[in-house]
Amino acid sequence: MHVVYRELEGRSKAYWALLLGLGAVLLLGLFAAHTMEERGHIITGMTNQIVWGMPHVFAVFLIVAASGALNVASIASVFGKTAYKPLAPLSGLVAIALLAGGLMVLMLDLGRPDRLLVAATVYNFKSVFAWNVFLYTGFFTFVIIYLWTMMERKMNPYTKAAGFAAFIWRLVLTTGTGSIFGFLVARTAYDSALLAPMFIIFSFAYGLAVFNLVLMAAYRGSGRPLGDRMLFRLGKLLAVFVGASFYFVLVYHLTNLYFTKNHGFERFILLDGGIYPLLFWGGQIVVGYLIPLLLIFAPATRNSRTALAAASLLVILGAFAQMYVTIIGGQAYPLPLFPGMQVSSTFYDGVVHPYTPSGWEIMLGFGGVALSLAIVVFGLKILRFLPESLSDDQHMEAQHQAA
Amino acid sequence: MRLGLVIDLDVCVGCHACAVACKEWNASGTTGPLSDYQPYGAEPSGVWFNRIRHYEVGEYPDSKTVNFPMSCMHCEDADCVTVCPTGASYKRTGDGIVLVDQNRCMGCNYCAWACPYGARELDRSSGTMKKCTLCVDRIYDQALPVEERQPACVLTCPAHARMFGDLDDPQSAVSMAVRERGGYQLLPELGYNPTNHYLPPRKHKPIPTGEVVYGAWAKVKKLVNRVVKR
Repeated sequence: MHVVYRELEGRSKAYWALLLGLGAVLLLGLFAAHTMEERGHIITGMTNQIVWGMPHVFAVFLIVAASGALNVASIASVFGKTAYKPLAPLSGLVAIALLAGGLMVLMLDLGRPDRLLVAATVYNFKSVFAWNVFLYTGFFTFVIIYLWTMMERKMNPYTKAAGFAAFIWRLVLTTGTGSIFGFLVARTAYDSALLAPMFIIFSFAYGLAVFNLVLMAAYRGSGRPLGDRMLFRLGKLLAVFVGASFYFVLVYHLTNLYFTKNHGFERFILLDGGIYPLLFWGGQIVVGYLIPLLLIFAPATRNSRTALAAASLLVILGAFAQMYVTIIGGQAYPLPLFPGMQVSSTFYDGVVHPYTPSGWEIMLGFGGVALSLAIVVFGLKILRFLPESLSDDQHMEAQHQAA
Repeated sequence: MRLGLVIDLDVCVGCHACAVACKEWNASGTTGPLSDYQPYGAEPSGVWFNRIRHYEVGEYPDSKTVNFPMSCMHCEDADCVTVCPTGASYKRTGDGIVLVDQNRCMGCNYCAWACPYGARELDRSSGTMKKCTLCVDRIYDQALPVEERQPACVLTCPAHARMFGDLDDPQSAVSMAVRERGGYQLLPELGYNPTNHYLPPRKHKPIPTGEVVYGAWAKVKKLVNRVVKR
């Protein structure tokens, strides 16, 4: 199958308006980071108890989605599904862009972002956080090499090897991200080996949801043909990943419910924890899992592009709810210092720690999203990531060749 | 050497003098300032290295309030040290004190997640993590008289509920107190092996809280008191 890739023309007013809009949001994010740096984290909602706030919700989502966005390319190169091959370069671009946006938020939210050089030069190799520094830079390196082997004809013979390496690395990367939480023995919400594979399956769903939306927007915006077969195939794949995520979440909570010591935390997250049960049931489960599955499989909507776009968007909204519950909810639940005792003090012992995200934090988070999207939008203009056509004819041809 | 604190829960009255003395000394110490947020506002808060918890043992009216001062436990296998990506959190090999290098901490706050005792203090003004230093800038100060080379909290405690010393030395006062009084570590099951120990409250005869029945001698005392009061 011969696929012709071509840059976006990017001369229309709509294109520049989009890029300028993203640039404005990015600038607002940078302004928020500057203000937090100047005035200290006192202006945020973060406290001594909730030390990771809204920026981390955005950052971890973007980082997790980054590794998942590479999935489409991996399916083509590693698992030999040629139908996905035309989408592989875009998959790599979205992956890099999401990671860049996530890391921007993560780094600018540090208490001392000016000491980033310390993080880049001094390592404690026992720290899972330090491992992640290598995993992030490694991901960039592997995906860029992978893209090079795909986009430079002379390098094409190495695509499979590069794709395999990038695939393995993305699994390790998300294992590292999940383990940041999984290795926290002190907190009831975490301390579980299940978090690493659960984050991997989350990444599959979140990354593909973002990829679907980018793909549909790019083809709609550029007026290029995008066939239903390819699109609904991606939709079915999204449903598989969403279903698997749902399964992992069920197992995680069932395991916790089986352990008596975790009953308090489960009650907090599932029943009486205020905003957290609402976000868990309403956001993560209903909006993030059930409605998207319904949209993808219901006879009335399964052949609708709008429904697929809505399903992808809802998966992303559910992902934010999941990140909020996982990151903020896990900190809001008090430390079990004196199990079985009624504890009181003047500094939030034995009570749920309050957290209200500030506008600065939300601005920084959206700044990261804007950077990711701006990289994709600009990348599509300067390099040949997008096939000229993804019509059903092309898709059928690929299917025949594979057969 | 393994320097640490031994706190007698039997005599701690929860007066918070240790917390205030700690704040006073360390605000101008090596990790100072300890920032305050809205100190004169409706909800004042700030960085405190030493905080006093209170918990109830038993059910009212047969209950007892235990005051439980908590600061960094200076664990042997401190998880805050393990998870710190830059090595800013470190444990001194000479005396076992766990410190945060304020010039190396980038404020990722991951150690605050890892510490099971909630002993990490995020200074939202400096953007770095702070914690009890065991008054390291005081206990080795040759300019101070020997008896004053102790953490500020120990020196100030009016009930002498706090002791400081080398828990590696079996003949030190702290080691003997732990041995004789059945001193224990908080959350030992986590395996971080905290250096600080707590001496449990002694068993006391319960103080009757119901209606008091007066004997003959008590009636005489009551009568005398009434006469004296007039």
